[in-house]
Amino acid sequence: MTRRELLSFLFSLGALELGSVLPAQDARASTSPVFRVKSLKGVDFVLRNSPTARKHLIETMPGGVALLDYNNDGLLDIFFVNAGHARDNMANPVSFDRRNPAYWNRLYRQNPDGSFSDVTKQAGLADAGDSNYGMGVAVGDYDNDGFPDIYVTNFGKNILYHNNGDGTFTDVTAKAGVAAGGWSASAGFFDYDNDGRLDLFVTRYLDWSVEKSKTCGSEKPTYCPPGDFPAITNILYHNRGDGTFEDVSISSGIAAKKGHGLGVAFADYDGDGFTDVFVANDVSDQFLFHNNGNGTFTECGLDSGAALSESGRMPSGMGVVFQDYDNDGLPDLLVTQLPHDPYVLFHNDGKGSFSAQELEAGLGVLSGNVSGWGVGLEDFDNDGWKDAFVVQGHVFDNVQIYDDSLRYREPPLLAMNRAGRFERADPGSDLPVAGRGAAFGDLNNDGWIDVVTTSLGDAPQFYLNRGGEFHWLTITLRGKRSNRDGFGARVQVNGQIRFATAAGSYLSSNDKRLHFGLGSAETADIEIRWPSSIRQVVRGVKADQFIVIEESVQP
Amino acid sequence: MIHALLWMCLLLPAQSADASLPPDALPLLQSGIDAENRGAFDQAVAAFRKAAELAPNSAIVLLRLGDTYMKERDYAAAIPPLQRAAELSPDAPAVHQLLGYALLAAGYASEAIPHLKIIHDDGALGIAQLQAGQAAEAVANLQAALAKSPDDPDLLFYLSRAATALAGQSLDRLRSVDPNSARGHQALGQTDYEMKMLPEAAKEYEQAIALRPDLPGLRLELGQVFAAGSEWAKAEEQFRGETKLQPGSAEAAYRLGNALLQQGKMKEAAQELKRSDSLSPDMPETLYALGRAAASSDPDVAEHALQRVIELEKQTPLAGQAHLVLAQIHRRQGKTEQAARDMENYRKIQALAAHPPS
Repeated sequence: MTRRELLSFLFSLGALELGSVLPAQDARASTSPVFRVKSLKGVDFVLRNSPTARKHLIETMPGGVALLDYNNDGLLDIFFVNAGHARDNMANPVSFDRRNPAYWNRLYRQNPDGSFSDVTKQAGLADAGDSNYGMGVAVGDYDNDGFPDIYVTNFGKNILYHNNGDGTFTDVTAKAGVAAGGWSASAGFFDYDNDGRLDLFVTRYLDWSVEKSKTCGSEKPTYCPPGDFPAITNILYHNRGDGTFEDVSISSGIAAKKGHGLGVAFADYDGDGFTDVFVANDVSDQFLFHNNGNGTFTECGLDSGAALSESGRMPSGMGVVFQDYDNDGLPDLLVTQLPHDPYVLFHNDGKGSFSAQELEAGLGVLSGNVSGWGVGLEDFDNDGWKDAFVVQGHVFDNVQIYDDSLRYREPPLLAMNRAGRFERADPGSDLPVAGRGAAFGDLNNDGWIDVVTTSLGDAPQFYLNRGGEFHWLTITLRGKRSNRDGFGARVQVNGQIRFATAAGSYLSSNDKRLHFGLGSAETADIEIRWPSSIRQVVRGVKADQFIVIEESVQP
Repeated sequence: MIHALLWMCLLLPAQSADASLPPDALPLLQSGIDAENRGAFDQAVAAFRKAAELAPNSAIVLLRLGDTYMKERDYAAAIPPLQRAAELSPDAPAVHQLLGYALLAAGYASEAIPHLKIIHDDGALGIAQLQAGQAAEAVANLQAALAKSPDDPDLLFYLSRAATALAGQSLDRLRSVDPNSARGHQALGQTDYEMKMLPEAAKEYEQAIALRPDLPGLRLELGQVFAAGSEWAKAEEQFRGETKLQPGSAEAAYRLGNALLQQGKMKEAAQELKRSDSLSPDMPETLYALGRAAASSDPDVAEHALQRVIELEKQTPLAGQAHLVLAQIHRRQGKTEQAARDMENYRKIQALAAHPPS
């Protein structure tokens, strides 16, 4: 598919009233594998985390993956965050040997034939900072120049790479003022003040350093739990629009709460027109930062019912996705965690409140004894209901000596959504891996969502969707008054809702295009509420195509 | 109390010496007693040893010497003079008490037992029997001692140790007598389960059930093995089987209800949990699970159950969790003020757990 074909539709229409045309429930049993799991020609990345006998906690937490079209050729490219060379005995100034190509982050450009080329060096992404141990990645066009920029989180200093539009990137961290510090985890671009410029949220895990590193388990050494280290604040950077950012963590109220942040996801859960923030915390209350619309946030996880699991326990929150799983028009939260509680599903009950409904939704039987990280709610079978995919693997590489019922390496969980209740399905591979990151997108532009996952000490896994009979529609937003990526837009297609974002999952960044399964419907009615508050409606769009919708200039 | 008895060695009057001693030993004995009264145990030992050399058949001198060694925590040194004192005065309870304690403290539990039996010290005797591997006798004597001192922490501690040892001995015996019996497999299954070897435990229980399908409890325990591995459908099958065998078992009904709850079968779960509550009312865990199961489908039942949990549990973590579920119910009902009060109560309990009153 050429870029011209991909961009064959460019809509710019006024607002109209639309009815809801939800697809009928698909009664098919999920017996055949949904994905074909294969390696991709030209991708030779290995996530090198360098586990040590000292069990430094950083070793078991990387690493992220991003799906982005960095050169705007209509083909998704892949960016992997590598970790670094940890050693038993480390002292400041610490070196993680990141100048060694084995520990570089990697950018793979997709070629028209579906193969990939490693363009890391020529793109200027080889130097990841020798004192940085890599974690995650966020993608967004922060300067609205039409080219996606990359933000890499680390233990150490984070790096913002500006996309120059010519296949190269420039490290603009110092100028932008977004280096953060300490141990950053997931990050994401979003526009919290609807000024048309993407701001940046960075979660931080805990107050750790090589001096503070310790080993737990006297006879059976292993990684220490997060509670052994002090909690820490997350960071919010406001985009000034001149290539620089201002740290507004304190003035916005974000820094009022300390936690053990790992995952972050965005959506406007109460429909007030401002994007809210959810932070998945490891073994503490989850944070729901309500956007007050005046530059400040109020953390309301407990009072809104989105802080604790159904059992009342504090989840060991790892990854999170903030999308509407039951097609009621309200974004819900799926939080992955460690055993022995199921992944937490906070159902949005409306009026700003949530209730944990993982048991009602069938996740109790699917996830009680596994460890989840990267997560997505995507419609893999295009039946109109968002399914769940979770990459799994325990934190401890020696967990079996503690509990023989648990495994360090696990296959992923694929759960198909049958009208709001999840059922196990065959992802196409039961190969156990120490899974961590996961990014979701349509790698081969066939209209069916694929998955790329990372695993510690291993090559990535590629889950290519086998496809099927149902129809689909994929939308690229182009903001004008709103941020160019359209992040924060609420897009309704035949009654389904998606919130435009590349954030979510764990340490990873997804294809920013909005994918909708249409079931047997051959046309779609689209309603968009942009962050600018403009409402825009497009009727009778033919199914099975990629379209670009530019923000209407008329309110 | 036991601790005090073990290490407390003052058994003899310290105010005067024995007038029947040889004349040259008497001042030494008195000198030793004086030194002992001053806490100068080294000097006391030296004086008593010299007195014992002059009067080797004086039980009182030997007893004083042994007593002083024990005050110095030198139990091994105390044993020879006390053993000699016991030979000389076999009917003196104080000698047997000190010798029994010295032997026990030095690790000679079996040798201590006859002396502790003479003085009828149930507590110390029970401890000696536990250490000598006589778990059944230890349980009996420790229970007798606890009847006299019900809240003694040392006795409670040793009784729990003795009961555990007795259970272990019984299981070892069961395994050696008939390892392939249903009970033998059940015992092995239990051991595997405790070691978190869940697949192995399940196999043992399945073999036990194959041998004795009508034996109550097997399915309950196998269900718990599956539940520990979050295999809730398999757990449900076993718990359901147990409720057929034991329709009057509140625990089986509770376990079945919980397995249904974990699978999201809320209405069925609520039904079974109600049945468990009717069989054994006011079990907080059952009521809490009922509250969770009925929260969406029957909020009145859920609220009633959760309020009862709070009445029963007051400020425990379970009561806190009940407040949380109540808040969820009230938020759904639009009762925001009530939900806020629920959360306030939840936070109070959390704060209490974080900072318990001294």
